[in-house]
Amino acid sequence: MGADLRTGALAALAGLDLVTTARLRMLLAHHEPGEALAVAAGRCRPHPAVEPMMTPELRRAWALSAAQREHGEWAARCARVGVGAITLADEAFPEVLRSDPQPPAVLFFRGDWTALDVRRVGIVGTRNATGPGCDFAATLGRQLAEQGVTVVSGLAKGIDGAAHRGVLRADGRRAVGVVANGLDSPYPRVHRELWNAVAEGGLLLSEWPPGTEPEKFRFPLRNRIIAGLSELLVVVESRERGGSLTTAREALERGVDVMAVPGSINNRAAAGTNQLIRDGATPVTEVADILLALGLDHRRSHPTAFDSRPLPRGAEALVLDRCRADPSTLDTIVAELGFSITDAAMTLARLERSGWVRESGGWFEEVGPWA
Amino acid sequence: MIASIPSASVLGVRGCPVTVEVHVGDGLPGYHMVGMPDTACRESRDRVRAALASCDFKWPSRSITVNLAPTSQRKSGAGLDLAIAIGVLVASEQLPVADVAGHAFLGELGLDGTLRSVPGVAPMVDSLDAIDVVVPVENAREAQIAARGMPRIAADLATVVTCLVGARAWEPVPLSSHSDEAPALLPDLSDVRGQPVARRALEIAAAGGHHMLLIGSPGSGKTMLAQRLPGLLPPLDRDDSLETTMVHSAAGLRLPPGGLIRHPPFRAPHHTTSVVAMVGGGSHQLRPGEVSLATNGVLFMDELGEFARSALEGLREPLEEGVIRVARAAARATMPARFLLVAATNPCPCGGGPPGSCQCDDHARGRYLRRLSGPLADRFDLRVVVHRPAVDELLGADGGEPSASVRHRVVAARAVALERAGKVNAALSPDDLDEFAPLAAGARTVLRNEIERERLTGRGYHRIRRVARTIADLSDPGEPIVTLGHVELALAMRASLRGPAITDSRWIA
Repeated sequence: MGADLRTGALAALAGLDLVTTARLRMLLAHHEPGEALAVAAGRCRPHPAVEPMMTPELRRAWALSAAQREHGEWAARCARVGVGAITLADEAFPEVLRSDPQPPAVLFFRGDWTALDVRRVGIVGTRNATGPGCDFAATLGRQLAEQGVTVVSGLAKGIDGAAHRGVLRADGRRAVGVVANGLDSPYPRVHRELWNAVAEGGLLLSEWPPGTEPEKFRFPLRNRIIAGLSELLVVVESRERGGSLTTAREALERGVDVMAVPGSINNRAAAGTNQLIRDGATPVTEVADILLALGLDHRRSHPTAFDSRPLPRGAEALVLDRCRADPSTLDTIVAELGFSITDAAMTLARLERSGWVRESGGWFEEVGPWA
Repeated sequence: MIASIPSASVLGVRGCPVTVEVHVGDGLPGYHMVGMPDTACRESRDRVRAALASCDFKWPSRSITVNLAPTSQRKSGAGLDLAIAIGVLVASEQLPVADVAGHAFLGELGLDGTLRSVPGVAPMVDSLDAIDVVVPVENAREAQIAARGMPRIAADLATVVTCLVGARAWEPVPLSSHSDEAPALLPDLSDVRGQPVARRALEIAAAGGHHMLLIGSPGSGKTMLAQRLPGLLPPLDRDDSLETTMVHSAAGLRLPPGGLIRHPPFRAPHHTTSVVAMVGGGSHQLRPGEVSLATNGVLFMDELGEFARSALEGLREPLEEGVIRVARAAARATMPARFLLVAATNPCPCGGGPPGSCQCDDHARGRYLRRLSGPLADRFDLRVVVHRPAVDELLGADGGEPSASVRHRVVAARAVALERAGKVNAALSPDDLDEFAPLAAGARTVLRNEIERERLTGRGYHRIRRVARTIADLSDPGEPIVTLGHVELALAMRASLRGPAITDSRWIA
């Protein structure tokens, strides 16, 4: 069967009603994709091992939806977007996922598999991230990519997106993104360019065929893939509950070490990561911590990007330190540092103009060196 | 015989003279009222009849016709009862015409003849200027404010008649023993702990008449701050006091014991208030709405995003022109609507807070903030973010500066502004700004910078200059030039409404 049609068959299969990873795995273990589609459509007799799985209800549901999913059509659709598909049977299937407790049955991809051939670190975090949190994630991404380490992440808003942006600034080949919907429709929409950049330079993966919507239940499933593909997982920011903690749990189940970035006690987005550290995760405050954990020579010097911002002095330095510790407001500067309101306003305005702080909704946060 | 009795009714905030003509003649006994009375007005027949009987007068069993002139205007309410009763008495010759000459009559009658108060007496008396007006006792103070001479008061119909025929002297109006409402009743700024920026913003708003938007999470003290603004404003001068009193009287609100309203009113309509209640109107009487009641004072709109779009639209005319024009099929009225607008809102639906604590997704937040845009967004000269005070500040020993000393500065700054330009700083036009609020070089550079970075529109530029002028008047009175410090503080008080979302678009390499 031609590669295109095979992809089309897999895309048609993976999108059937009532299909799950376990069922797909069972089906594909005993049938070629084209044949498997025929079995699902009821045109072909299933393998004896597959027979017990095919309850009348399942047969009915699959027959109905298979009738609307024609593999030629799907092949064309995948070809249009540049999406390929592999299964456990293929050589290209990542080794590390073969031995996963719950391996995916099929992986749809855009990009280049060689992105997985080097050391791999997962970077995840909350969507409700702070400015400094995103800055640090981007810095880590860039510095890891500079060291030739691939960064695996979910392309979500906040930390995930920031991490990959950092990677793209250094080496686009080191980006591996795993998403929870079809590869033809960037989600979230604001990350459209990021998606395409990751797909072109690195690798974009999904368990689901093009056209799949990013429903909530798919995200935890996607998180296990991120955990599965990583040698190390770094959680940059998380609230007391969140998807990145799910990913951390999946990582621990697979024996993947979890590291976390500590944060201020006043920062809600650091509550989860601080708890992870309490539970035994190694703290990360710079990329050297990660490289050390990977066993890479962390003494190899990496040039620090030149920071062109004028160094703050005196009153400005005081205010910047305060913003560095925690996001501050005009009130904070006046009350805690004893500035007059006018002086506080002028100092913060000067810092903002020279690029040291960023204001949003009345809160001033420090801006890290450009990732 | 025909009796012609002067009376009045209210349209908007003005009184309209009404002539009550009563004709008692031959024909089948009956009572007919013409002249576009509303239901309450029509019911006057029963009230007047019972009142006359209670006072031992006869109800003529002939054909009685009552005409409320002019016919083109709707009459509403029970305020014409007294005039109708007197008219019936005169027309049926139970009261000599000569005795009622030169008097007008206002008041509602009870079935036992008691004279009850009616709303709007002040504007009504004002419109009847050349005549002596007879009013109920409770309306004495209002009538006194507007009347040229002493109003005539009476407790019931019988007294009115007795005094008219000369058998008794009119009761004198009791002198007001209360001094004007004690300023101590207004909430004091010293109750506010910490929050230095918000307090300063209140001072600036009061001194320059700048409309202010308070943005903050629930519990940050926005309502508390807004309620303390009237305490910072100077008492009303004579003309404004009279205007405000007329409006409140026309709306039927209770006036202070002294009669005149001397302090800027504070109106805080709930966000479920109807458009008509907000703006004024109604089908018959065109009563003043909240915008008029807040004239010369403060209109506080809490939860700005929850107000109906139509209510917000209704504010456009008052904010632009200082009046509100209400028109109905039968009548129209122009009412004053000049106030200091203070509004409060959350930064987003979940309440917001420090970066990282917001639970809203961008879509919900965008939708919430879009409700605030439109007619009002650009009107606010000051947009201040209010944060919850820290625990130490809340429980700390000393309160902040009391209202009295802040008011001192506000009054001084206002005086400077009025002397300089004849109006408060919020009313300065762009030309006025060039003349009265010249910028120092450093300030001009900073503003140019902001405009170039597209963080300031043309309108925003003028607003900053107005606020900076007020800040200068407060901190360096007498200093003609607006300096960098003033401008920076003004810029700090124009927080962005975007909320703590990192806009990622600029990052894509």
